Amino acid sequence: MNTFVVANPNKCIGCRSCEIACAVAHLGTSVATAGAVSAPFQPRLALVKTPMVTMPIQCRQCEDAPCANVCPVKAISHQGDRIIVDTEICIGCKTCMLACPLGAMDMVEEYTDGEKVYQDGLKVSLGEEGTEKEKVVAHKCDLCKDRPGGPACLEVCVAKAFVLVQPQSMDTSIKQRRAASVLEIARSR
Amino acid sequence: MSLETSIIKIDQELCTGCQRCVEVCPVNAIQGKPGEPQTIDVERCVVCGQCVQKCNSYAPAFEEGIASRETKLAERGLLPSVKEPLFAAYNIGHAEVVKEGLVNKDSFKVVQCAPAVRVALGEDFGLPLGALTPGKMAAALRRLGFDKVYDTNFTADLTIMEEGSELIKRVTEGGTLPMFTSCCPAWVKFVEQAYPDLIDHLSSCKSPQQMAGAVFKTYGAKINNVEPAKVFSVSVMPCTCKKFECERPEMGDSGYQDVDVVLTTRELGQLIKDAGIDFASLPEEEFDAPLGTYTGAGTIFGVTGGVMEAALRTGYELITKKPIPNVDINLVRGGEGVRKATVQVGDLELKVAIVSGLKNVVPVLEDIKAGKADFHFMEVMTCPVGCVSGGGQPKVLLETEKETAYKNRTAATYEHDAKLPLRKSHENPDIQKIYAEFLEEPLGHESHHLLHTKYTPRG
Repeated sequence: MNTFVVANPNKCIGCRSCEIACAVAHLGTSVATAGAVSAPFQPRLALVKTPMVTMPIQCRQCEDAPCANVCPVKAISHQGDRIIVDTEICIGCKTCMLACPLGAMDMVEEYTDGEKVYQDGLKVSLGEEGTEKEKVVAHKCDLCKDRPGGPACLEVCVAKAFVLVQPQSMDTSIKQRRAASVLEIARSR
Repeated sequence: MSLETSIIKIDQELCTGCQRCVEVCPVNAIQGKPGEPQTIDVERCVVCGQCVQKCNSYAPAFEEGIASRETKLAERGLLPSVKEPLFAAYNIGHAEVVKEGLVNKDSFKVVQCAPAVRVALGEDFGLPLGALTPGKMAAALRRLGFDKVYDTNFTADLTIMEEGSELIKRVTEGGTLPMFTSCCPAWVKFVEQAYPDLIDHLSSCKSPQQMAGAVFKTYGAKINNVEPAKVFSVSVMPCTCKKFECERPEMGDSGYQDVDVVLTTRELGQLIKDAGIDFASLPEEEFDAPLGTYTGAGTIFGVTGGVMEAALRTGYELITKKPIPNVDINLVRGGEGVRKATVQVGDLELKVAIVSGLKNVVPVLEDIKAGKADFHFMEVMTCPVGCVSGGGQPKVLLETEKETAYKNRTAATYEHDAKLPLRKSHENPDIQKIYAEFLEEPLGHESHHLLHTKYTPRG
């Protein structure tokens, strides 16, 4: 079973720290201060704020991932305990975005070391000369695959609103629910 | 800009109402309901900028229904070239004013940087947290077009001469005690508005920034042979409240507004980037003498306990006429909170208190009002561990890295002090020279006119 991170809307205060931690964790370079950031933040989770509730939405790492199933170039695959987008292969067709039941798939301009990445193929037609066109790729939570400490959102949240759900913890949770059910049934007799 | 204009603001389009800023505001100036955009009570706000440091509610790219990035940059007084993300809580910037001032060929452009700037500026260029870069900073300022790269550390040394003498006078001749330091403008504003009956406890010394402002347009103009009216005086501060301080109406003893414009450390970083200067590869350069010459005592003004330690190094020697046994006075060093210490100075058992984090001073002030204070001298800094953690410093993005940042900046400050050839303010040769040539003596007539001030009860 896959691992995923989910937030508790009753705890979330809407401070956006998780988005920043996520963006910083994926910059590829070590950036500690705001002034050292030269590209827009591209978090892989998104704070949703409505008058009633505030919480970030991120990938649930679906077992039979619809995003991967619909990808025409097989850029999305299952790796270990998570679903990963290979931005080298991604053509930016957005089908995955439409297929995602949660709204967790985003499309972003790709940056390397604070600089925009331009694509090799199609150029922008501008009169006689073609100009470079920025590369746009699918973008989703990868559970901070390159970060030794695991998901950054979890670590930075002051409200402790996130839970890391792993197969073992799921198993424990299910067993607890079963035990609670038994007690409930026994009590009602 | 006038004092009526607020310097710290919260962008109503970006604030999510998480209220993390409310937790760090030392004066409860931030108002609003949870989940709704917050506002700032300008009267109450001490302009410390800790909310600016705390806020994580940034403007996402391509957000619908909010003003464009260009509009927001202009509203905030930021240069159009600024690339960093914009957050809900911010301070009004003045880099554009300095950029315009620097191209004026008729003016004589001088600059000063506070001690804490040199241990943090590099961070905004990707250098490690707390990187010590005084030489690169001086080089960058020269490349930006300043005619003289002077330093606030020089006037920190000058402050020690004046404030140390004031303390000795109050203790020996009987003045209002305990005496409070007056370097931190947020603390001064707080006393004026919340404890106006304790105003007499504040040292009459201007802050090092304002002493520098007054000296640059008088003595500085004279030694450089320029008209004081042509001096364009810029200061770079780790502090947002220094912008408020420089606009105080009484800060014009030179005959002009003493400091023309204040930039924060972050704004200087933006200006350096705007000019296309590669900070990390700059050579190490010196500050300009005489008003840029400083000792280790001047540089430790940037950390909690630093003003106290610098004052003790000089006070001890002025009173006892003997060298202090150990220059490192670890008793007064430390972190956030209240520390008290007793230092034997000749026959005098000098009792001191050091407060870091403005909230922590309230119980101490209540004790003083109740006549229960048992000490002579108190240093107060509003920000958590002093100016190195100031509201205008590079903004550490992750809460989890703040402690490391503050620890490293503090360590770099003490390291700088330890390695400087002179570590006591009264040994600074250019301090001795300015008294010999211009000021005459500490607390003398010229000093009184240029380096001391009065306070205003508010509210």
